[in-house]
Amino acid sequence: MNSNPTTPAQATGRRYWRSLDELADTPEFKDWLHREFPQGASEMVDGQNRRQFLKIMSASFALAGLGLAGAGCRRPEEKLEPFGQQPADYVYGEPQFFATAMPTRTGAIPLVVKSYEGRPVKIEGNALFPGGNGGTDRYAQASILDLYDPDRARHFKHDGKVVSREEALGFLDELSKKFAANSGEGLAFLAESSTSPSRARLQKIIAQKLPKSQWFTYDAIDSGIHQRAATQAFGQPVKPVFHFDKAKVILSLDCDFLGGEDDAHNHIRKFAAGRKPGRGMSRLYAVESLFTLSGANADHRLRLPASWVKQTALTVIACLNNSLKKSGEYVSPQWISRCVDDLVAAGKDALVVAGQRQPMEVHLLAYAINSAFGAIGNTVELLPALNSVGGTVADMLAADKAGKIKTLVVLGNNSLYTGPGTEDFVWGQSKDFRNKTIIRLGYYEDETSQLCDWHLPMTHYLESWGDATTNDGTVVPVQPLIQPLFGGLTELEFLARLAGESQTSAYEIVRATFDGSDENWKKFLFNGFVVNANPKPVVGNFLAPNSEIKLSAPTASNLEIIFYRDAKVDDGRYANNGWMQELPDPITKMTWDNAALVSRKTAHELGVQNGDIVEITLNGCSVKGPIWTQPGMADYSLGLALGYGRERAGRVGTGVGFNAYKIFSGKYIETGATVRKTGETYTLACTQNHWSMEGRPAVREANLKEFLDDPKFAAEKFHGTEPPIVQSLYPNPLDEAKKTALHQWGLVVDLTACVGCSTCVLACQSENNIPIVGKDQVQRGREMHWMRIDRYYTADPKTQKFSDAFVTNEQEQFSEWIDDVQAVNQPVMCQMCEAAPCENVCPVAATAHDKEGLNTMAYNRCIGTRYCSNNCPYKVRHFNFLDFNKRPLADLKGPFYPTPLLHKTDGKWDLLSWWKHPEQSGMREEDEWDLIKLSKNPDVTVRMRGVMEKCTYCTQRIEQAKIAQKVKAGGSGDVRLKESEGTIPKTACQQACPAGAIIFGDISDAASSVSKWKAQPQNYALLGDLLTKPRTSYLARIRNPNPAMPDYHEPFSSEEYEARSNPKI
Amino acid sequence: MIFPKWTNWLPLALGIGAALMGGGVAAGVTYYFTPKYTRVGYEPVQPVPFSHAVHAGQLGMDCRYCHNGVEKSWFSNLPGASTCMNCHSVILKDDPRLAIIRESATNNTPVPWVQIHRLPDYAYFNHEVHVRRGFSCVECHGRVDEMDEVYHAKPLSMSFCLDCHRNPAAHIRPVDTVTDLGWTWSTNGVEAANLQTVEGKKLVEHMRVESLQSCSACHR
Repeated sequence: MNSNPTTPAQATGRRYWRSLDELADTPEFKDWLHREFPQGASEMVDGQNRRQFLKIMSASFALAGLGLAGAGCRRPEEKLEPFGQQPADYVYGEPQFFATAMPTRTGAIPLVVKSYEGRPVKIEGNALFPGGNGGTDRYAQASILDLYDPDRARHFKHDGKVVSREEALGFLDELSKKFAANSGEGLAFLAESSTSPSRARLQKIIAQKLPKSQWFTYDAIDSGIHQRAATQAFGQPVKPVFHFDKAKVILSLDCDFLGGEDDAHNHIRKFAAGRKPGRGMSRLYAVESLFTLSGANADHRLRLPASWVKQTALTVIACLNNSLKKSGEYVSPQWISRCVDDLVAAGKDALVVAGQRQPMEVHLLAYAINSAFGAIGNTVELLPALNSVGGTVADMLAADKAGKIKTLVVLGNNSLYTGPGTEDFVWGQSKDFRNKTIIRLGYYEDETSQLCDWHLPMTHYLESWGDATTNDGTVVPVQPLIQPLFGGLTELEFLARLAGESQTSAYEIVRATFDGSDENWKKFLFNGFVVNANPKPVVGNFLAPNSEIKLSAPTASNLEIIFYRDAKVDDGRYANNGWMQELPDPITKMTWDNAALVSRKTAHELGVQNGDIVEITLNGCSVKGPIWTQPGMADYSLGLALGYGRERAGRVGTGVGFNAYKIFSGKYIETGATVRKTGETYTLACTQNHWSMEGRPAVREANLKEFLDDPKFAAEKFHGTEPPIVQSLYPNPLDEAKKTALHQWGLVVDLTACVGCSTCVLACQSENNIPIVGKDQVQRGREMHWMRIDRYYTADPKTQKFSDAFVTNEQEQFSEWIDDVQAVNQPVMCQMCEAAPCENVCPVAATAHDKEGLNTMAYNRCIGTRYCSNNCPYKVRHFNFLDFNKRPLADLKGPFYPTPLLHKTDGKWDLLSWWKHPEQSGMREEDEWDLIKLSKNPDVTVRMRGVMEKCTYCTQRIEQAKIAQKVKAGGSGDVRLKESEGTIPKTACQQACPAGAIIFGDISDAASSVSKWKAQPQNYALLGDLLTKPRTSYLARIRNPNPAMPDYHEPFSSEEYEARSNPKI
Repeated sequence: MIFPKWTNWLPLALGIGAALMGGGVAAGVTYYFTPKYTRVGYEPVQPVPFSHAVHAGQLGMDCRYCHNGVEKSWFSNLPGASTCMNCHSVILKDDPRLAIIRESATNNTPVPWVQIHRLPDYAYFNHEVHVRRGFSCVECHGRVDEMDEVYHAKPLSMSFCLDCHRNPAAHIRPVDTVTDLGWTWSTNGVEAANLQTVEGKKLVEHMRVESLQSCSACHR
């Protein structure tokens, strides 16, 4: 049934069925028309009104009857509307690509964005960027959904009322005139850090024109400490660039350079480049409290409270000076002294990095150690930097007390939410601010907008002209791909207007900053960066610090809290991004929530378990949140992710998780917290409930030494190898079909390179129109991600009890073996089995092989029996239980219904309210549709309810590449894609992977990279013993621990495998 | 006897009747419910009385003069009014039938042409790969060069696609003749058919035409 109001069917209905006229006009009926299934049929928890249902059904049958009999049988007439004036160089249906960049706090990610018919649909990294490999990070991949966020600020507002754009701009001009007259007296700016040369230029102009104005910067997540520390350490304005690829031995002092630090995608790329299995493979030591991605990828991990890291650094220095006194004063002296021996052996190839959440002293100590090794200039490069201009929030409050602020301009910066929770820091809690004129340029009408007199919508970076500087100092352009959807302003336009500049278009401002010929400007935009213009490194001499620090050990009543940047919502800015909310956290695998992460021992002593809501009190402020036991977490530390518990995030993000900012005071590590059990419990939606591999060789690992001795260990040591092929009773038809095919597709994942950052999962979601299902559905195991990253914990089998093999998912949190764990990550997507178990059981042949070895899925054929998913040993098929694409955004975050009969919302029985207002849970609203439709990739079908789906190896990209080659071939027979010609397509996950851990290609071409990877000795198939002959294979993970270390082991997974395969009892 | 003797024939009669009915329904559905019936012959009235027979037929204009995206994109575009005005700014320049075109070219407002050929969204047909690889417009669109008002000439159903994909040799032709809708291998019908079989096979081999029949070729 077509919902288009102009279709003949509906018009006929109106004419002949006068008695149903009113009914046909009611909102319920219109709602019904929109719905694929009647109310209640598509939501398992809807209440329904039987009488109304019958009324609507009878009306619908009447209409359907008319439709069949009359002209309604013909499909609706559609118009093709060509241009009036055909634009040059534009071909409808062909994507266009533009180079741009996503600004980050201390850098920028150079991007190439794909655009269809003027709407950006997919973000890729700029592979031409020097040193880049086209990889991106999670935030860049997900940022495209923010562009189409229905909740973004759409209007110019004054005192909460919508005003026209002209009115708002008029006000800005007025303001600019006023301040030009009094040279900016009483004007203050509150901004976020930025690397834009244009903004820096405007800032200078403002400082000149309005000398009395003041500029303040606040970032909830402070990544600038690396630069500040380097500047202090070397006595000149410099910023460090860490070369993890050159480093042979790396010591991370609570530095999550692969996860939570800025520019992580570059670190991952460099780190992976240094981790090629073989001689010269780098080694990573991590000292940390939270279990981070860097810790998960470390060869040796020392579990310590974060507040002890300072002491660890001092211990390192003491070891270097051979002045290690009696133990006790030092942290794990044996571990550290052996680690230092290794660092010393590496000499200038050693690298020590301090985490951004660590205080300045730790950074200075890290630079001291680095310069002692001579690593400065080798693994740590110093680039000239500009010191940021302006004060902090504390300065702002001081200026306010002095009465120097009359008008406050807030640029972005949702600091009323992200600001520290104590009263001294929150400018919004100061009564004075309520009497000031506050002007906000913001992407959302969020917590901060509430307090503002004027709210101006900000543009997305994909709508803006701008520029930025990457972490290696290269200037990159920010090019718009689309006109601002809601007529917003960029930061540059806003500042230029306020400064009373004659140039107010962002393009002109950026062009003026660029300072080059038109030809160079065009090259700059085409390439997406200035060629060969990154600054030369400078030489710095370390100025020795002097610090003596006392240790105070946290205890159960004096807990340490670590506030960390969330892997998904960042500081809260992606809270309304459904992809981010649903992405399983790379470590905890939690979706749609944050939790207070604690170690098993801490949980035991506090008497809490997973899901218990506790009240955390720190410095007199408190917040309530659920507990989650995190294996590998330091004892008596609490990990709190910032960015949740938003009050005005939008339909998706409001009320998800709890707000850790409430007890945040600007320091990322604090001690002195107490925890009280409230007695309430909470359900968390985790995508991986079981932590252990149970001795199964899903991920195969070896230490470097073992690998060098026995390169084929992965295939030979573990029983899960392919049994010898016997003559099959039923020959596989693919064996015959292969002979006439041009290519045979295959994919390899390198588990040594993969760090588990999950960028690929988001890239896949973006490329393949994968829906967001919501917390309740994730809890039911219905998440739709075509690829997942399995994260397993393994531990020394000696610490495991025999009974640990039989514990349930819920009991695992109490097992002692989870205290000190190793973690492994394994991306799992469709394995494209040559002998696919799913195909044999499909009653309608909706899934079948093509001759190039792809296990294809014809959605239109699928009738939803789910037999295939049942028969898939890898569990990579996902079923659309509901019409996820049509679910209203506000319904996604929950509530979770253990049973709908008992659930209450705001003290009312849900069942009762459904009965009374059946229309309240229904369809997506129109404004959601309009924007969300734009974000879809037109190359991939948007699937509906009742259809099975799975990874296709990005079949749309394969087909496009093949078509492109055939078009090029024309009348000749040169139709084969060849890697040597660069015509082999990349899958979305491969392209997004910053580590280069995924490779896709033609395995029938022996010279292709994928064939070479598959020929490597450590190549193995997941569950290969099932004889499914998967086309996806894995390169076993090689660890590189130091045999001299006290915690040297075979990989725990191998030991566990041995122990479980040959039980002693 | 409770039942009269003729009732012995009743099961048979019922059986035959049911078979006939069922057959009738099946035949009806296969004919009336398929695109062969529902689509072929669809000839909507267009906002501008543009005649392909005049332009492509009599004047011999190449299809690609107007549909210039057909070799570059999956979609064969409709020309912008500015393309029409290339000639009609001189020829028939004040003709009232062209008023909409002139207005469109001046104001950049689109002409609302009615779509005739349309595949469902889940079928990813690609024009460029077909026309660049020796597959003529006429195969799907019929003799457009003889149509005054364009109509739906072929069913464009999945089986219609597969007919060709299963036997490309019967339809392929030299790449440079794809827009010559009346082209045949020979003026003699029988000879042309023979040549199509022989030469078509050669072309398919030479060009390594895959004519994929797997789901992934069209459905993504």
